Amino acid sequence: MSTVLALAGEVTTGEAATFYILAPIALIGAIGMVWARNAVHSALFLVLTMLSLGVFYILQAGPFIGMVQIIVYTGAIMMLFLFVLMLIGRDASDSLIETLRGQRTVALLLGIGFAGLLCTGLGRAVGSMTSVGLDEANAAGNTQGIARDLFTKYVFAFEVTSALLITAAVGAMLLAHVEKVKAEKVTQLEMMRARFAPGNYPAPKPGPGVFAATNSVAAPGLLPDRTVAGRSLSALVPTRELTEAEAAPKGTEK
Amino acid sequence: MIMIALLVVSALGALAAFLPAQFARFVSTGLAALAFGLSLAMYATGAGFWHEYDKPWVPGLNLRFHLGVDGISWPLIVLTTLLTLLCCGYSLWKTPDSRLIGLLLAMQTGIVGAFLALDLVLFFVFFEVILLPMYAVIAGWGGPAKRAAARKFVLYTLFGSMLLLLGVYLVVDQTGSADLAAPKGTATMAAFVFLALGFAVKAPLWPLHTWLPDAHSEAPTVGSVMLAGVLLKLGTYGLIRVAIPVAPEAAAKAAPVLGGLAVAAILIGGLVCLAQTELKRLIAYSSVGHMGFVLLGIATMSATGLQAALIGNLAHGLITGLLFFLVGAIKDRTHTGELSQLGGLRDSSPWLAGILGFAALASLGLPGLAGFWGEAFAVIAAAQRGWWLGAALAAVGGALAAAYLLRMLRKVTHGSSPPRLTGPAGYELAAWVPLAVLTIAVGLAPLLITDVTGPAVDALVEAIQR
Amino acid sequence: MTFKLPAIDYLALAPMLVLFGAACAGVLVDALVPREWRYHVQVPLSLVALLASGGFVVALANRKEHVVTAGSAVVIDGPGLFLQGSIVVLGIVALFLVAERRLEPGGAFVAQAAVVAGSEADRKQMRKPGVTEVYPMMLFALAGMMLFCSANDLLTMFVALEVFSLPLYLLCALARRRRLLSQEAAVKYFLLGAFASAFFLYGVAMIYGYAGKVDFRGINEAVLGSSNSKTLLLIGLAMLAIGLLFKVAAVPFHVWTPDVYQGAPTPITAFMAACTKVAAFGGLLRVLYVAFERSSWDFRPTLGVIAAATMIVGAVLAVTQTDIKRLLAYSSVANAGYLLTGTLSMNRDGLKYTMFYLVAYGFTVLAAFAIVMLVRDSDGEATHLARWAGLGRRSPVFASLFTFLMLAFAGIPLTSGFTAKFGVFAAAVGGNMTWLVIIGVLSSMILAFPYLRVVVLMWLSVPGDDTPTVSVPGAFTAAALFVGVAMTLVLGVAPNQALELVNDAGAFLR
Repeated sequence: MSTVLALAGEVTTGEAATFYILAPIALIGAIGMVWARNAVHSALFLVLTMLSLGVFYILQAGPFIGMVQIIVYTGAIMMLFLFVLMLIGRDASDSLIETLRGQRTVALLLGIGFAGLLCTGLGRAVGSMTSVGLDEANAAGNTQGIARDLFTKYVFAFEVTSALLITAAVGAMLLAHVEKVKAEKVTQLEMMRARFAPGNYPAPKPGPGVFAATNSVAAPGLLPDRTVAGRSLSALVPTRELTEAEAAPKGTEK
Repeated sequence: MIMIALLVVSALGALAAFLPAQFARFVSTGLAALAFGLSLAMYATGAGFWHEYDKPWVPGLNLRFHLGVDGISWPLIVLTTLLTLLCCGYSLWKTPDSRLIGLLLAMQTGIVGAFLALDLVLFFVFFEVILLPMYAVIAGWGGPAKRAAARKFVLYTLFGSMLLLLGVYLVVDQTGSADLAAPKGTATMAAFVFLALGFAVKAPLWPLHTWLPDAHSEAPTVGSVMLAGVLLKLGTYGLIRVAIPVAPEAAAKAAPVLGGLAVAAILIGGLVCLAQTELKRLIAYSSVGHMGFVLLGIATMSATGLQAALIGNLAHGLITGLLFFLVGAIKDRTHTGELSQLGGLRDSSPWLAGILGFAALASLGLPGLAGFWGEAFAVIAAAQRGWWLGAALAAVGGALAAAYLLRMLRKVTHGSSPPRLTGPAGYELAAWVPLAVLTIAVGLAPLLITDVTGPAVDALVEAIQR
Repeated sequence: MTFKLPAIDYLALAPMLVLFGAACAGVLVDALVPREWRYHVQVPLSLVALLASGGFVVALANRKEHVVTAGSAVVIDGPGLFLQGSIVVLGIVALFLVAERRLEPGGAFVAQAAVVAGSEADRKQMRKPGVTEVYPMMLFALAGMMLFCSANDLLTMFVALEVFSLPLYLLCALARRRRLLSQEAAVKYFLLGAFASAFFLYGVAMIYGYAGKVDFRGINEAVLGSSNSKTLLLIGLAMLAIGLLFKVAAVPFHVWTPDVYQGAPTPITAFMAACTKVAAFGGLLRVLYVAFERSSWDFRPTLGVIAAATMIVGAVLAVTQTDIKRLLAYSSVANAGYLLTGTLSMNRDGLKYTMFYLVAYGFTVLAAFAIVMLVRDSDGEATHLARWAGLGRRSPVFASLFTFLMLAFAGIPLTSGFTAKFGVFAAAVGGNMTWLVIIGVLSSMILAFPYLRVVVLMWLSVPGDDTPTVSVPGAFTAAALFVGVAMTLVLGVAPNQALELVNDAGAFLR
């Protein structure tokens, strides 16, 4: 039964070797996930980290959680995530402008400092003492132990987690779902009718006019009599009238 | 019951400000008069508490509704209700604003409550209640720099009351009781220091006095009168009633320091007064000096000294109250308080010059007027205690008071003659006359006061030395 | 292998179960009931659920039997019941604020949160009724808070922490006006909250490594008897403390507070300020008093420094604020410091008065935010302080009420603020934390200033053209305001009943 379960406080050569191979990979994955500009790359890096962690769990006497990590997190959730990214499109990248000057440097320094603090503390703790509780938890086998805890000691917490899931589902719907009212849905036929209805202008809107000195969308299109073509003005772009100097021939007309 | 009636009447007077403006101020003033009557009716004789009322309020916080009046607190209560009544009457015509009168009565509720309280926590509660009405009076009806002055006042006073609060915590923690009627007297030095500092800010004792001149010079006349006449007394009363009885041993150790600071206050107050150019600031600084004498009396912790402190308290309340009323009258008429711009009051308004001269003489401690007894006996008590140097320096300070007050009189009354000023209005006389009469009465017959306070002070001194 | 389900005392869990059930029912209501009916179903449903939950709490308190149930995951003891009861009562008052729809057509919540802020569709939905999912979310949060106060092991506590945090993150994002601010607040709160949860969880792991157990009694025994090196314990405790101190908004884990308080819809801000504070301190009290009491020598100095920093930073930064919601946020930070002072006294009085303080502060802050909701112009709530100038002349009644609340915050006698502060400071003096009391007293002096400034601004400034009006409150807000102000007065003048209640609650069950 407990062939894969390591004994607490004892590190075999194989375990050490695997750790030293996988730990840097996990770390690279984590850093790469934050570093990558492309969302798909980020997700793949995360998969890498999660897989390594899954192996760690199995090595360290937690086969159940290791399997769950690989099957559920890496296999299901991350793949679903990738699916969504691919479907929605992966062009969007974050804006990298610092709104607070020097924030990144400070964050980096503080982060390194904190990590150092934590590592030295943990290093001392791990070096000088053994932690307890593993043998007891794994006494009747790892998976069985988890099952026992979930359905006896922590049955209430386990049930309450459902509240968390409901909240998450409702929240996702609240923040992401736009409800379309039936009356607002417009059919193709109605759009056509509206296009050719009296008072509407069915043809494309005029671009910058024949006599315009620029092809910027901000410049209004001019009619042959040099008056502004009203339809060429966008409601969104502020109109820019050219100054004399800008409109003057620039010596390229020859 | 009469004590509760007094508090309720005062509080009702404050609430009456919410009545329709037509008669609100008259109702409030009427209630102020009733309160004055009630405070007079509390009079009795003897060493113990004349009236006492004790009921638990919030047992969890050691808060008992424990009130009592004896020879130490009664004169101050009467002084409070009297000055409030005079201020209300004065405001009735001067600034007919029911809110101001309501605030005055709210202040009276707090002050009388603090004088009556025989429970440390209850004392603190009333002590805090006073802060806001006074702040509102300065900030609402004060001079041009009222906001800054009000802020400074609040900052200092809050600071003081927070120290006081710390002292209260320590006393309750150390002695397990917040009783002031028969304090255990086992509190430590730390508790005494916090309490004494808290009261020193209020009194104010040099070097914690810097809020006083600003608050005085910006406050409206009635605000200054209440501030100088009553509020400052809370500090000295607190020392006598609270700080010394709860920690007599610590107080005895700290007494020389307190005495030294008091002498410093007397001298520095006098010297600073010589350099003042503004009438209200001058009187404010003179308060620092006068309160120095009171504190010196307290610091001796002898029967003579405490008697001197109590009578000095009372005299200062009467005289400085009168002085601030007079300065208010001068400023109303000339629209300035600068000594350089005043002058010739003797010609322009002989009656005002005369009564100002009277008040100034009383203030500088002329024998036969109220100011003399407190200061003279404080010096004597210091000498009896063996503080010869302190006594001598305090006496020099008394001479300084003569110097600056006479300088002030010369600048204000003599000099080029401005146009004639209007005569005293009825409401002004109504405010001045009682104070002047009492000043003379206390000056001629100090026994009026010492007979009342004597037994209580003797009992207190006995309790301290036990 | 076989195991059987532990005995579960359903009556003991009833206060929470009722809320969980009602929340699920609320989700169903949102799915099945026509849109125009939802509000009219959700509000009574939530109210009835809360009243029923409160009824069960009272019944349990009368049973006077302290139980550990559900496989020792939940403990129902005196302080736990008191905290649960206060969460329910404060939750009812907060529900009143959330349910208010008179002040603004459709209420304080957006109709569809997914619509892009500022778009044409957003303008169109301006007058549509707000989402009704807020009610089940609120019930979930309240149930989570109640569990958080009565969890008996760190794991249950962690689940409860998540259960009450997640709805709050969501609720923050649902403001009807200034939606970008609201969404930013939600994202900030969520990210930082996630970090704090991670710290908490890591701390649980460390503690498990030290004690081999995560239930409080087991940890206590381990601290008492273990010969292990304490390093793991201390690291674990520090991590746990970070997670908890984030929720109570203690310095330096407070940076989210002003942004979230400002951005969130005001009823939710009030809800967080009152109920989250109770829950977070309830949890902190239980962890420190039950599990780690024996190592109080280790954490008292550190947490004392944090409490001192919280009081000072909160007070000083409150002085510089120009927005009333941010001001109240920083005041809430400073109040967390006072509560920490009470907590750290580590004696019976400390527990008592900290719980009293939580209730007193909760009512006052709810009433204060109720008034913030009322002061509005055409753009919604006018929260900039400059706009409040001269409000006293425009509407003396509300300005008076707000003045009273400010005085309560400043701890002036005859308000609940004084009673509460006096209590925690006295307890701390009794617990030999006098230095902390000195700092607390000084900081409360500083803190009095912003409050006084608001009061002065309202009464002594001349109202300008852009001084907003105070809307007539609907029945719900009026009720919340009345309850808040009345309790502030009652707990200040006659706190005996409440003090007896906390006294009878006794100590935590170990």
